[in-house]
Amino acid sequence: MGSRAERLAPLVLVAPAVLIIVVLRLWPLVLGVNFSFTGDGDRNGMMVGFANYLTLFSDPLFRTALRNVGLLVLLLPVAVAIPGLLATFIYLRVPGHRLYRGVYFFPAVLSPVIVGAIFNLLLAFDGPLNRLLGGLGLGPVDWLGDPGVAIFTVVGVHVWATFGMALVVFLAGFATLDSSLLDAAKVDGASFAQTIWHVIVPSLSRTIQFVFVTTMIGMLTSMFGLLYVMTSGGPEGSTYLPEYYIWIQQGQMNQPALASAASTALFLIMLVVGLAQIGILRRAAGKED
Amino acid sequence: MSGSRLTKWVVAVPMAVLALATVYPLVFTTNVAMKTRRDYTLDRFSLADSLRWDNVVKAWTSVGMSKYFLNSVVVVACSVALLLLLGSMAGFALGRLRFRGSSTLFLGILAALFVPFQVIMVPLARIMADSGLIDTYPGLVLAYVAQFLPFTIFLLTSYYSTVPAEIVDAARIDGNTVYGVYWRIMLPIGAPALLSVGVLNALFCWNDVLISLLMMPSAEHRTLMVGVTSLRGQYSDDIPTFASGVLIAAIPVLVVYLFLQRQIADGVTAGSTKG
Repeated sequence: MGSRAERLAPLVLVAPAVLIIVVLRLWPLVLGVNFSFTGDGDRNGMMVGFANYLTLFSDPLFRTALRNVGLLVLLLPVAVAIPGLLATFIYLRVPGHRLYRGVYFFPAVLSPVIVGAIFNLLLAFDGPLNRLLGGLGLGPVDWLGDPGVAIFTVVGVHVWATFGMALVVFLAGFATLDSSLLDAAKVDGASFAQTIWHVIVPSLSRTIQFVFVTTMIGMLTSMFGLLYVMTSGGPEGSTYLPEYYIWIQQGQMNQPALASAASTALFLIMLVVGLAQIGILRRAAGKED
Repeated sequence: MSGSRLTKWVVAVPMAVLALATVYPLVFTTNVAMKTRRDYTLDRFSLADSLRWDNVVKAWTSVGMSKYFLNSVVVVACSVALLLLLGSMAGFALGRLRFRGSSTLFLGILAALFVPFQVIMVPLARIMADSGLIDTYPGLVLAYVAQFLPFTIFLLTSYYSTVPAEIVDAARIDGNTVYGVYWRIMLPIGAPALLSVGVLNALFCWNDVLISLLMMPSAEHRTLMVGVTSLRGQYSDDIPTFASGVLIAAIPVLVVYLFLQRQIADGVTAGSTKG
């Protein structure tokens, strides 16, 4: 005991993990940023300044990808409110509440590939959903073939597949909620909406913040499987997101430097969105106090 | 709260519809997988007349799903084993032992948590290619370990920080080395957390398609999810076989979910309430 070997033991225990993270996660980040200022093809390895970024922002596909990111940001409150409301109802023990948690959470553990493959069948022009709509005298809608519709379809499927994740997080937040606050609201005769706004939202501000950030990160970084299987970025490039653009430039077009520029742009977007959300939510929470 | 019984029942109706909408896609796919091609063409919505496993057998054998399945099992098993080993070592050191600089190190690992794969995939592919690891199983395992290690360490560090220091001290007085304490005491004591983190990592690796696509270009090395994406082109005119392939990929996840739902949920929510 107390020998040199023993004192070094904690360092020995963390060393392999730290080595892997530094070499395969942090070092590539530096390498990638550096890489984004070099050229592709003939100009491989040459410093080209901001040329890749100029190419990037004049590429209609990347612009569409950015516009779609804007759309995701706009849809974010909806993607958070749905599981939030459902969790509230489950917490308030609507009939069947025990069942719902298990059922709603299930799609969240399925691969986007499986989800996308299944929805390819369901959303086919002559598939079940259009048939259901037909029965109601609506549609048919070309869910994946219409450039104005496809991005909403893919985002909708993503929300279907992942709302259970946020739901479970909300329920964990509710478990820490002081139920005497709810009782007090009840005694004061608060309406359902008032209770949500004045009791639940402030008490769960930390959980809500967590869900906002993780949902946004999920939208920006885990839709690749759906895009790959459902639309391949189409129709007419309308469903491109930055992660899909990076994949195409790296894997198909063999333009790694341009892909690196897109990666750096995506990283900055995530940084800005993440910080902005935390800032906004912190201010909102401060006002409630 | 104005949650009168009537309101609750009114809310319960859309919630039940949503529950159906959550289950239906998989039921539909299973039903299609049980149909013959002819039945499917004639009427894709009617219930299959019997549990016909021909398509599933076909997808398993002649389409090559069995090979992809095996590839995935090997890669996921190795990745999860390595993640739990390295993650618990680091978690024990950072959460329980602590040493000079350990909290800074923990922050650095947390920072890696916010570097998504898409941001580093181009240089990572180059590093892997330069070291001859591209298109090899060790390379893919390493990529998964690198991807999910920060999250694993985060959860295991917060778990091990709740273990009382007296346990470590007592074991040391009994003559254990630090490594002995880790191996004989911390690993068993961490079992619940290791199970939860392990299941979650297994799902992440099993479900991944992007990392696998990037790291394993050749067809015979495909993991199951990449295999499913390739089915789509090959069997676009044989939907029951396609649906069977999807089913084969989904069943292990369904089984794991049925038995370990609580552990999965614990892993998902761990970051939201602590830290």
